[in-house]
Amino acid sequence: MATSTTAANSAAVSAEELRFSYGDHEAVKGISFEIAPGEIFGFLGPNGAGKTTTIKMLTGQLRPQSGTVRILGHDLRRDDPEAQAHIGVCFEEKNLYDAMSGEENLRFFAALYDVDGLDTDALLERVGLADRAKDRVGSYSKGMRQRLMVARAILHQPMVLFLDEPTDGLDPVSSKAIRGIIREEAERGAAVLLTTHDMWEADELSHRVAFINEGQIYAIDTPENLKLQHGRRSVKVRRRDEAGVREESFGLDDPAVGEQLRTAVQSEGLMTIHTEESTLENIFVEMTGRRLEA
Amino acid sequence: MTISRRVAIVRAIVAKDLREFSRDRLWMVLTPVMLVFYIGILWLLPNTVDETIKVGVYAPGLGGQFEQAFDSDAISTETGLQVVPFDSPDALEAAVVDGTEIEVDGQKHSLDIGMVFPDDLAASLSAGEPATVTIYVDAAVPAEVQTAMSAVVREATYAMAGVGLPVTQPQQELVVVGEDRVGSQVSPQELMTPLIAVMVLVVEAMALAGLVAVEIQTRTAKAVVVSPASVGDFLSAKSATGTLLAFGQAGFVLLLVGGFGHQPLLVALALLIGSIMTAGFGMLAGSAGRDFMTTIFISVVFMVPMAVPAIAALFPGAASVWVQVLPTYGFIETIVGVIAYGDSWADTYGYLLLSAAWCVAIFAAGWFVLRRRVEVL
Repeated sequence: MATSTTAANSAAVSAEELRFSYGDHEAVKGISFEIAPGEIFGFLGPNGAGKTTTIKMLTGQLRPQSGTVRILGHDLRRDDPEAQAHIGVCFEEKNLYDAMSGEENLRFFAALYDVDGLDTDALLERVGLADRAKDRVGSYSKGMRQRLMVARAILHQPMVLFLDEPTDGLDPVSSKAIRGIIREEAERGAAVLLTTHDMWEADELSHRVAFINEGQIYAIDTPENLKLQHGRRSVKVRRRDEAGVREESFGLDDPAVGEQLRTAVQSEGLMTIHTEESTLENIFVEMTGRRLEA
Repeated sequence: MTISRRVAIVRAIVAKDLREFSRDRLWMVLTPVMLVFYIGILWLLPNTVDETIKVGVYAPGLGGQFEQAFDSDAISTETGLQVVPFDSPDALEAAVVDGTEIEVDGQKHSLDIGMVFPDDLAASLSAGEPATVTIYVDAAVPAEVQTAMSAVVREATYAMAGVGLPVTQPQQELVVVGEDRVGSQVSPQELMTPLIAVMVLVVEAMALAGLVAVEIQTRTAKAVVVSPASVGDFLSAKSATGTLLAFGQAGFVLLLVGGFGHQPLLVALALLIGSIMTAGFGMLAGSAGRDFMTTIFISVVFMVPMAVPAIAALFPGAASVWVQVLPTYGFIETIVGVIAYGDSWADTYGYLLLSAAWCVAIFAAGWFVLRRRVEVL
């Protein structure tokens, strides 16, 4: 098991020895981590790993059976409005008011967050929904609903953002738009906890990632460090000879790799040479023995 | 967080709920249709009770003795009997049996009872021979009135024969215990008014249950309670929405039918208690519903028994014990007492307290169940 890695001083989110059980089933077994302001923290694990329970504890929906959660220094308790005023949440389920327009949805939540003079036009423009502002959400596509969810999560400029599968099932254009917003929010100074099954996305966006499985954190580090520590750097060579097409893989840490590559390049029938990096998915499987989609 | 901020949050949720309600086609169609339906029913029901029993009499050869014995004006005002003389037994029979309205002295009469005395009654009585008097009775006439008519015939015959009882009649003093409602009977319209009010509350309980169920099923409640709005704010808003819808519409109906004519504050208080109870039922049903159909089904299962005391109030006599233990019994008795019988605070405080106790219990149950439901979303 990995020990938690401290993000920085004055963490925006601090989880300390969180535990929660549903009856006899221990869903979260004493996990700890911190997220610094402006950091995007990838929270990766398969279904049933304890991600949702952890997020519920971090957003005040569940009270930890032991351990503490601090949001911007506030000791989070259920119904703590001081802490919750600084939190923005984008849920996995699209829990919007279908009978109301996109603009009305945003105005309602602005009233709950005490945001005066919200510029809904600008916000909807930012998520690409300006032309559908007056339409009922019930008529929105899945991608549009997801973008409105993100707009709702950021309308009060929260300092802590919890994004649960924000690009799940979206088209590439919508996914790219949402990833752009996540980066902008982090640049503004918000701490972002991102859960996703998309390892490429986690790698692309996250400053650090945590692997969670069976209620425990197995590793917390930057994607680069994890790949360095757990991955195998290699080069894959494809060439054609009398026997047909052959593939060979040379480890970059192998002392003989220089000679092997020289021979491959000089050989007849060379087709392609690719560098290969281990992926977060592979590292996760290697560490936990489970696939993320499981 | 300040109280004013909490109030602002609750107000925002209530405004959102009312906006959603106003955009729900089902309730937007159902609400005005039901209001028109209720008011239409009340409008169709008579608002007065005709207490006079009209008796048609064919008594030839008695020289108007029968009519003289029962002077019609005195009878109609004091005993509720009005005698209408007939010239033909066939016309009298037709008037009672067919329900044909007949015109006598410029007035139309629909007879309840007809008495046909034989042509030779006086002679038969004098000779001590048996005679037959035929009495036609409308099926709707109560059995006790039928018996009374037989006694009237007997007494009238004695009088006509000049045979009096060999006793001195005592002076009679009539003492009516309670309010003497002769001349001011409770009309069907007045009796139906509480049932209409309860039906409005039933529909509004369903409307609130629908709103709550949608919040639960789509998990929008979860989005609300991770904002600065607490679970308590969410529940307060739902309570306020349910109470507002129920009180507003039931109050509107009562206003239209004159339900606030007597003791308006008392009626308003009873209605408020009923409306809060409705909100409790709505929260219970909304928490239990898995989809639209189950929510409506559960609402009906909860609320239809609650209308039973109002149905019982339509019929005379005390309600059964099982009706008296229903939560809406006290509320309905209060409304019936004030609107139909002109009761005061002193007459109804017991029922008010009973309904207030039920209101607290049901509202607390609704609050607790919905709280649990929202917390585990």
